[in-house]
Amino acid sequence: MSIEAVTIPKWGMTMTEGIVSDWLVAEGDEVSRGQEIIEVESTKTTNAVESAASGILRRIVVEAGETAPVGALVGVIADASASDEDIDAFIASFAGASGAEEEEDSNAASIKTVDVGNGAVVNVLTLGAESDSNVVLLHGFGGDVSTWLFNQDAFAQKHRVVAVDLPGHGASSPTQGSDVFPSLVASIERALEISAPGKLHLVAHSFGGAVAAAIAAHQPERVASITLIAPVGLGKVINKEFLDDFITAERRKPLKDVLERLLADPSKISNDMIEGTLRFKRLEGVPEALAAIRDTIVDGDGQRHSITETLANFAGPVALIWGGKDKIVPLPDGSQIPSNAKFSVIEDAGHMPQMEASSEVNSIVLDNISKSL
Amino acid sequence: MAKISFRQALNDALRLEMARDPRVIMMGEDLTGGAGGNGVKDAWGGAFGVTRGLLGEFGPERIRDTPISETAFIGAAAGAALTGMRPVAELMFVDFAGVCLDQIVNQIAKFRYMFGGRARTPLVIRATYGAGTRSAAQHTQAFYPIFTHFPGLKVVIPSNPYDAKGLLLQAMRDDDPVIFLENKMLYDTMGEVPDGSYTVPFGEAKVVRDGKDVMIVAIGRMVKIAEEAARKLQSDGISACVIDPRTTSPLDEDTLIEFAEEIGRVVIVDEATPRCGMAADISAMLADKCFDSLRAPIKMVTAPHTPVPYAPNLEDLYVPNADAVIKAVKSIIER
Repeated sequence: MSIEAVTIPKWGMTMTEGIVSDWLVAEGDEVSRGQEIIEVESTKTTNAVESAASGILRRIVVEAGETAPVGALVGVIADASASDEDIDAFIASFAGASGAEEEEDSNAASIKTVDVGNGAVVNVLTLGAESDSNVVLLHGFGGDVSTWLFNQDAFAQKHRVVAVDLPGHGASSPTQGSDVFPSLVASIERALEISAPGKLHLVAHSFGGAVAAAIAAHQPERVASITLIAPVGLGKVINKEFLDDFITAERRKPLKDVLERLLADPSKISNDMIEGTLRFKRLEGVPEALAAIRDTIVDGDGQRHSITETLANFAGPVALIWGGKDKIVPLPDGSQIPSNAKFSVIEDAGHMPQMEASSEVNSIVLDNISKSL
Repeated sequence: MAKISFRQALNDALRLEMARDPRVIMMGEDLTGGAGGNGVKDAWGGAFGVTRGLLGEFGPERIRDTPISETAFIGAAAGAALTGMRPVAELMFVDFAGVCLDQIVNQIAKFRYMFGGRARTPLVIRATYGAGTRSAAQHTQAFYPIFTHFPGLKVVIPSNPYDAKGLLLQAMRDDDPVIFLENKMLYDTMGEVPDGSYTVPFGEAKVVRDGKDVMIVAIGRMVKIAEEAARKLQSDGISACVIDPRTTSPLDEDTLIEFAEEIGRVVIVDEATPRCGMAADISAMLADKCFDSLRAPIKMVTAPHTPVPYAPNLEDLYVPNADAVIKAVKSIIER
């Protein structure tokens, strides 16, 4: 008999509490691992929380509409063999344990900019203490470290996590010179030398996949595993219109229309996400920097990067994750998938399965990492 | 990204643009910081500390104290703008606009139109507005509806440090005259602001907070009041969306209509007096354009139709507060 806690998740550094905006299951309902069971709202976003266990939702501790701190117990899942007294005892013991949790915060995220030479900086977010192995998170075109809001804490349970803003994105400096892609990769490699000594487990999304492949090609001895989510570089086809429209959208409504193409369920694009993206795009020089990066991704013939060979030659475990409803980088066909890669498709996700189906993605990533250990 | 004050955000915008564009000049009363004692210049950066340090950096050729005559220096700024400069003139209190209203309304606002589009007046008039400082009826008014009334003027009312910097940079780069209004009670509010230059476009409302039961439209300082009300309403199970138009001219009608149609209940919070104010203006526009989507009467939360009282207890009662917003929301929420 096992009793499992349902708790308020922590999405990003600033989240201290969440509102249980909706229970998607009722007390007494059967739930299975990965099933969406509650909707939690932070000041920044609203997202479903998936069950970490299978069983029966035995108790709702925090009702819909109520607010609770991060880590607080909101519900209890157990099988029928647990008695009501067992559940009560579990709730009582959890209350004591969660009070103590506030003090230990070794997994707290820290964010700082790292000097990578020539006056340029790379913004680096780390979770966990220095370690000889690191999970490195590389976001896609137009993104930043917040791409990993629903993933970083799951990875940090077992590993040190290092997420970067790519040059020209977030709080990192723009790329310099005309050799845009090589200089971008060099900046990230320099930042990782400083912030992530030891082995690297590369986890990358979309355009970040090309960066990950370049790092793996340059320093195969450092890279222990590669997990790519809807990466560029396997086929030729890409939605160039998305890249163009993302660069030119200057106002809320047009940008909303662009961002909605990223997800299978467009209603998940919050106004905070739109405002955050607008703030980034308004900065002087950003549209030009984005255009330069776009030109490294795509030309008149389609995608310019090819990462197939790098992946095929890579000695460690390789996993590829795709959303079945991806409207940006279409699903590759069988011939484009290297034979050493484990390929997973998440049917109900678009181009950002790490946000739309976070638990499923998190377990695939952790599984791929564990194969190298 | 650094957290800085609303005041510092404005100072950053002025400094960045003066450094970028030599045509930007500033004039007004006590702008250089006031001579202070012993002839010390740049002591405190104007009556509200916004222009601190600029005299030392850019010199008296570009930032200049004027005699105490708004009639004269607003007129001078208009002439400078017509001849190719990009002046930023400061009215210490918007209440003083009375003595230069002819310059603003009959000259500045009309040049482009009356000269057949061949004259440009890239002029920013910065001014403080609003009650709360115990400064009595002649230094506390919220005049933005008056300026919004006149075609030919753009009217900007930032509610937070990020917008203050981006909107002021946009104002200085705009080729038309801009009335830029700063609520005195916001100068010390803090917020995350990027170090470099960026512009926030005019006529683009900001969705401050998502919500599905009621839309609260708020301007300037009232945005904070609306957010406070929305937080309290949340604990009563009422989900309030907050929209900040950011500029009243041009007004982002599209966004206001989009959300009014989606939500169906509207409360407008306006620090100005109620007659011919922004609340009345936005209310009329929404009633005209999306009447069929409304599920309840549009409610206006404004100051009363009186001068701003000097007595502190009465002044506090005068300015709309979160309780008044909550009361207005609850009066329409069941319908």
